[in-house]
Amino acid sequence: MPRPEAATDPRDMPDGWFDLTPELDDRVRALSAAPPRQGDRAHPIHAYLGALGGMPMRIGDFSRALGLAFDAGPVLGECTMTYPGRLRTGQRYRVSTEILDLTRKPSRRFGMADHLVLAITLSDASGPASILRFKMITPVVEDEQRHDTT
Amino acid sequence: MSSDTTRPDATFGPVSGDDMAEWCAALRDDNAIHLSRAAAAAAGFGPNRVNPGPANLAYVLSAAMARDPQAEFARITARFLGNVFEGDMLSIRLADEAAELRATTRDATVLAVQLTRKERP
Repeated sequence: MPRPEAATDPRDMPDGWFDLTPELDDRVRALSAAPPRQGDRAHPIHAYLGALGGMPMRIGDFSRALGLAFDAGPVLGECTMTYPGRLRTGQRYRVSTEILDLTRKPSRRFGMADHLVLAITLSDASGPASILRFKMITPVVEDEQRHDTT
Repeated sequence: MSSDTTRPDATFGPVSGDDMAEWCAALRDDNAIHLSRAAAAAAGFGPNRVNPGPANLAYVLSAAMARDPQAEFARITARFLGNVFEGDMLSIRLADEAAELRATTRDATVLAVQLTRKERP
């Protein structure tokens, strides 16, 4: 199993940073067939990209450090993005991550699965600009099987 | 979401494996089901790589933005109902406060989105 990038317990992870550059926004728009940017108003999916891209640990290492079998292929369940402020290109955002829930449940697809719910906030000097809340569903895999899927 | 027409508001695809790698780089996501066909197969997803969920959501949001470029979102809720695979052709249906992404090649709804817009100044 790959080692986490840092020895940090995910629950004690410090805040990270996300630089929302015009070039990144342009590329996201090209990849998703979005219309051209108006002024500095960024594509709303940056609430998601900035959250995962700006975490000090990759989401995979974060999950592995929590004991989840990330290499078995987790899937997304649901997500909500709210925008108390605005996401703008040329802005740097503080990225704050909170674990809201981690529960093991029966799963139709996986047999058993770990449901991890995170809230990740992007903030600038005026306060929160976006809040991502999402659930990631990771199969429960016995230790001896964890190396077999990658 | 209901509609009395069969014509989509937007289409997208085929979904590219190279694009998946770009999405994963932006997300710093090393989930192998997005990057390796062997890993996708081993995890039970079949022979093709699985598109990252946020990419699917971005397609829908981009279609909504193309329809109403002045709109700003206050809240977006998405339920990931199925997977999108490389090679999939997608269609997007838009309503005022809802949207739906379908994998037309498999006739499957893969994403349901609720959209709440900010009040215009």
